[in-house]
Amino acid sequence: MAETTFDVVVVGGGPGGYVAAIRASQLGLQAALVEREHLGGVCLNWGCIPTKTLLHTADLYREMQQAERFGLTAEASFDIGKVVSRSRAVAGQLNSGVKFLMRKHTVEVFEGAARLTGGGGVTVERDGETVAELGADSIILATGARPRSLPGLEPDGELVWTYREAMVPTTMPSSLLVIGSGAIGVEFASFYRALGAEVTVVEVLPRILPVEDEEISAFARGEFEKQGITIHTSATVESLEKGHDSVTASIATENGVIEATFDRAILAVGVTGNVEGLGLEGTSAAVDRGAIVVNEWLETGEPGLYAIGDVAGPPLLAHKAMHEGVICAERIAGLETARPMERRRIPGCTYCHPQVASVGLTEQAAGEAGFSVRVGRFPLVGNGKAIAVGDTAGMVKTIFDADTDELLGAHLVGPDVTEMIQGFVVAMGLETTQAELMETVFPHPTVSEAMHESVLDAYDRALHM
Amino acid sequence: MRVLPANTNGTGVEMPADIYMVKLGMTMTEGTVAEWHIPDGGEVKTGEDLYRLETEKVEMEVEAEASGTVRHLVPEETTVDPGAIVGYIYAPGEEIPAELPGADAPAAAAPAPARVSPVAAPVAAAAAQGGGGRVAASPAARRLAKELGVELASVTATGPRGRVTEDDVRTAHEAAAAPAPAAPMAVPASPLARKRAQALGVDLAVVRGTGPGGRITKGDVETAANVATATAATGETPPAAMREDEVLAVRGMRKVIAERMYASLQSTAQLTMDMDVAMDDCVRLRTQLVEEWSDEGVRPSYTDIVMKAVAKALLGHPRMNAQFSDTELTLRGEVNVGMAVALEEGLVVPVLRHVDQLGLKEIAMESSRLAAAAREGSLGLDDMAGGTFTVSTLGMFGVDSFTPILNPPEAGILGVNRLRDSVRWEGETPVRQKAMTLSLTWDHRALDGAPAAQFLASVRDYLEAPFRLLV
Repeated sequence: MAETTFDVVVVGGGPGGYVAAIRASQLGLQAALVEREHLGGVCLNWGCIPTKTLLHTADLYREMQQAERFGLTAEASFDIGKVVSRSRAVAGQLNSGVKFLMRKHTVEVFEGAARLTGGGGVTVERDGETVAELGADSIILATGARPRSLPGLEPDGELVWTYREAMVPTTMPSSLLVIGSGAIGVEFASFYRALGAEVTVVEVLPRILPVEDEEISAFARGEFEKQGITIHTSATVESLEKGHDSVTASIATENGVIEATFDRAILAVGVTGNVEGLGLEGTSAAVDRGAIVVNEWLETGEPGLYAIGDVAGPPLLAHKAMHEGVICAERIAGLETARPMERRRIPGCTYCHPQVASVGLTEQAAGEAGFSVRVGRFPLVGNGKAIAVGDTAGMVKTIFDADTDELLGAHLVGPDVTEMIQGFVVAMGLETTQAELMETVFPHPTVSEAMHESVLDAYDRALHM
Repeated sequence: MRVLPANTNGTGVEMPADIYMVKLGMTMTEGTVAEWHIPDGGEVKTGEDLYRLETEKVEMEVEAEASGTVRHLVPEETTVDPGAIVGYIYAPGEEIPAELPGADAPAAAAPAPARVSPVAAPVAAAAAQGGGGRVAASPAARRLAKELGVELASVTATGPRGRVTEDDVRTAHEAAAAPAPAAPMAVPASPLARKRAQALGVDLAVVRGTGPGGRITKGDVETAANVATATAATGETPPAAMREDEVLAVRGMRKVIAERMYASLQSTAQLTMDMDVAMDDCVRLRTQLVEEWSDEGVRPSYTDIVMKAVAKALLGHPRMNAQFSDTELTLRGEVNVGMAVALEEGLVVPVLRHVDQLGLKEIAMESSRLAAAAREGSLGLDDMAGGTFTVSTLGMFGVDSFTPILNPPEAGILGVNRLRDSVRWEGETPVRQKAMTLSLTWDHRALDGAPAAQFLASVRDYLEAPFRLLV
C-alpha cells in the first residue's frame, strides 16, 4: 500500500485533535486526522455537550416544578426517551458540524484505529485490516481517556454504568448510587435527582468536588443535601452485589458500614488515558500513570511525536485539550508567537445545580504555595438579579496575593456562574490587580455584580454587604 | 563624491550651485559638516575637496562640482539632515547677495552645533526643482497634495528623476499627521507588571516582554529583578538591556557568499601583501579629468584609475591573470577585471571586460553603469561572467589595509584603500603627500612572492606616473 504523506497526522478526533488539525491547516500544513469512532470525541458525543443538554432539561424541569413561586401554573412531567433523544440529536448535529469543519479546512479524515510504525509512519486499521498507511513529519496523539474502573466495581453497562450508559437511560432508575464526586459524578447526581431519583453520592475524600475551594465544596454540598441528595464523604464502596435489577452496595463510612440497594450505580472515579495499542512501546515517549509525558510544548520523548488533551494528563478538560491543540500546531509550524499555556489559568466548570466555576488557586493551595492572601466573598442573597430570578443559592469568592495584589484565584457557585467565570479568566490573563477590577463598571442588574463586590470585599470595600 | 550640478532657472542664467549634505545611503539620517576645506568666500575648482562629511559610520570628502566662490551656510561641526543645503558656489562674475538665499535665515545665523532643517529634504527632490521653484511631481501627486494640504516642496520624492509620486505625498501626509510617540506609556506591560516593576525598582524599558505581542508580564519583571540581584551579588555588569540574540536564516546572496568565500580559503594557497603608492599625480590627473569630462557626466573614480593600472600591469605579468588547477596553469588571454560592489544584502562582482583595451573614460562609464545596475539588481549574466582578476575597494570606509579573499578561479585580487595624507622625505625635509596602500592577495600555487611583488610594484609605478595610463 502506498504511503500517503502529510505534514501533520493527528490521531484522535476529539476537541483537542480536530482543533489541532484545523490550526495546522490554517498555518499552511497538510493535516490528516485519524478517528476510530466519532468525530468530536467523547466531549461532543458522550461528554460535555450531551450532558449539558440533559442538565438543561433538568433545570427547566426544576423550574417548572417551582412555577407557582413565579405565579405560573405548569404541570411538570417528562418522557425519558425524548429527553435522551434530544441529547443524542444535539450530539449528532455537532458531530456533522465537525465533519464540515474538516472538509472546510481540507483536513483529510481517515476512519480507523491508528498505530505508530516508527519513523513518522502511521497505519490505520479497521476491522483488523490496514486501510491506510500514512507518513508525517509530526504526529499528534489526541486519543483521549476512558473511565477508570475499580477492582470489584467494574462497570457492566447494565446495572453498573459509566457516564456512557448514564447518558442514555431507557428507564428512569428510582434510586441511584454515584461513586465519585468529581464533575462527572455530581452532574449525574444533579440530573437524576432533578428528575426524581433518590441519589446517594459516595466520595473517598473528605469533601465533594475535591478540586474546588473548600468553602465552595461545602456550599455546594449544603445545596445538594437540601435537594435531597445523600452524600457520604471519606467513604468507600467496598463491594457491589448485583441482583436481578438492582445492586446492593456495602459502603464503609466514618460511622460504620452501610448496606444499601440501588436500581443502578454510576462509576465516576476518574479516567485513564488511552495509551494502549498506539505503538508507543516502539518510541521513546514515556507513559506515567496512564498519561503520556509531555513538556510545555506538548512534545513527548520521541522527536516529532506530540500528545495533547486527556491522554497527556490532567486537567481533563476539553478546553485545555483544544488550547493544547492550537499550541501544538503552532509549535510544529514554527510560529514565533506560540506560547506555552499558563496551566494555573485554566478554568473549570461543573454544571450541577447550583453551578460551580473556578480559576486559579484555592485558598488552601494559595496558602500552601506561601502566599499571604486577601480573601473576598459575596453571597448571592445580596445580589438584586439573583433575587429577581429567585435563585440566590450561591457565592463568589476571590483570592488575592496580599503583597502584590495579584488575583490568584476566583471561585463561584450559583446560577450561570459557568458563563461568568471568563471575566476573571480574562482579568487573570491580563494580570490585572484588584485596582483594575474595582475600577471596572459591572452592568446592573446582573449576577456578575457579585464578582465586583467580592473583589471590593477582599479590600474591605464591599458596597452591598 | 560631488555635489549636484549648478541649478538653472530655465532662462539660461546661472544660479549659485547648492552645496548639499550628501545622502550616502538609505540608512543615513544625518550628517555633519566636519570641516570646510575652502574658507567662506574662498575660491574652489571643480573636483576639489569642499568639505569633510562625517556620519556615525563614515567620514569622507565632498568635492565641488562647480568652480567659483564658496559661501558657507552653516559653520563647521553643524549636523543637518541629508539633502539639506549647507552652502553655495557662486560662478565667477555672479553677484553674491549680502544675505544668502534658500535656507531659513535663522539657520545660517544659528551658532554651532545648531541643527538646520533641510530646505528640500532629499537630494533627488531638490534636483528636480526648477529655478522657479516648481517641484517635479505627477499630476495625481499634485491633486492629492492639494487635497491633503501638503506642501509639495516638503515631500520626499522617490519617483524617477526626483519626481514626487502620489505615494510620496501620502507618506508625507501620514508622517505629518502621526502624533509624536508618547514616551512613557510606549512599553506594553500588564497592570500587575507595572506595579511589581515599581515595587522592585525595575525599569520597564529594559525588560523583555514574553506576553502576547511582547507585553511585559509579572514574571518578566520578576526575572529582570532576579537577574539584577544576581548580577549585583556577583559584581558583574548586567547584560546590556537583556537583549535577545537575533537569528537570521542564511539564504540567498548571504548563503552564496558564505559558501564561495569559505571555499576560496579552503581550496587555494592565498596570502596578502601591502604596498604604498604616492598618489599626488593621480589626484591631480583625476581632478583634471573630472573637470575635463564634467560636461559629459563622466566621473572617473580612483578605483577606475587603479583598474586601468591593473589591466596594464596584468599584460606584463600574465601569471597574475591566470587560473590554477591541479594539473595546469591557464594564462588567460583576456583581461577582464571584476569590481566588488557592496549592496545592502551582500556583495556582487560585476566584470569589466577587456579592460586592457578600454580607455580611462570608457572604464569610468562602464564601471558606473555596472555599479548602478548592481544596486538596481539589473545585472545581466554577461555582466558577471569571465573575470580574470578582481579589484575591491574599501577606501571609502577609511580602511588602510585589508586581506581581500580571492574570487576563484582567479589568481589575484587587489584591495584599494583610503587616500590619506602621508610624508615623503626630500633630503632632510618632510613633504606632505597623498598616499594610498594597495593590498594584493594572490594564489601562491600560481605564482610566488617575488613575481607577485613585481606585479604589485608595476601597478604602483603606473599610479605614480599616471600619464602612462593614457598612452
